[in-house]
Amino acid sequence: MATLNITYNGLSADYPMELDALVSDADLKRIAVEVLRSGHVAGLALPHLADSAFDGFVVDRLQGGQRLYLRPKVPFGAA
Amino acid sequence: METAAPLRIVWCGVGALGSTAAVLCRNLDATAVFLDFDRVESKNLLAQAYVKQSVGKNKAEALKAQLLNFHGVKCEAFGVRVTAENVASLTREAGLIVDCFDNAASRKVLSDHARTTGVALLHAAVSGDGTFGLVRWDERFVPDAEDVAGQATCEGGEHLPLVGLLGAAIARAVQDFVKAGVRRDSMVGLAAVTPTS
Repeated sequence: MATLNITYNGLSADYPMELDALVSDADLKRIAVEVLRSGHVAGLALPHLADSAFDGFVVDRLQGGQRLYLRPKVPFGAA
Repeated sequence: METAAPLRIVWCGVGALGSTAAVLCRNLDATAVFLDFDRVESKNLLAQAYVKQSVGKNKAEALKAQLLNFHGVKCEAFGVRVTAENVASLTREAGLIVDCFDNAASRKVLSDHARTTGVALLHAAVSGDGTFGLVRWDERFVPDAEDVAGQATCEGGEHLPLVGLLGAAIARAVQDFVKAGVRRDSMVGLAAVTPTS
């Protein structure tokens, strides 16, 4: 069982999921849109989330791929 | 009997994240060294640790002066741009480097140096919209590039609470490392700091 952590608009929540080893970043973003729209992620129910909501986001794969983090890019140190 | 010299912490970039976190680390048994070529502008007072009297001064020198004048803490400062050519000399004898730069190229310079020398390197970074930040040790860090060169940053005062939360998370990660050698990562959102390792 892997856990996908989704951060959107400053809020984060975990979504446990069964994954095969080769799920692409694009597929994870599509899954995230679907589960947020459906209300299956506690604390992050977004029924009108756009298909493009996670364009430009980054997927981090930690702990051997068991912890997945879908998050905004963080390029800055706020110069 | 000789006593060990305090750990030398080199802060690379003292804008919003670096200046905020460095102030919160002022009580650590360590010597802070600030590196930043930039100058304090009036707009920086909105989200950075600088005061009005520091406007126009080099950021590294200004932060050094503020910590000495307001808190009696002695630090070192170098008002230069960090490059592949000077990173080794600027971070000489560092026990910890903290990356609060605002671009992927400079972060890579620090990562390359840390992976060559083995010096501990902590990265801190924030999203352009000011809703999310990361604190992550170099062994698990990959720098994110800007979407477009010169992309606007979240330097306005409206993001100050997130900057404060992220600055505190950075300071805590530094404190844990200095006191116990622990390397803790975290994600910072608008409402929470979440440990991730």
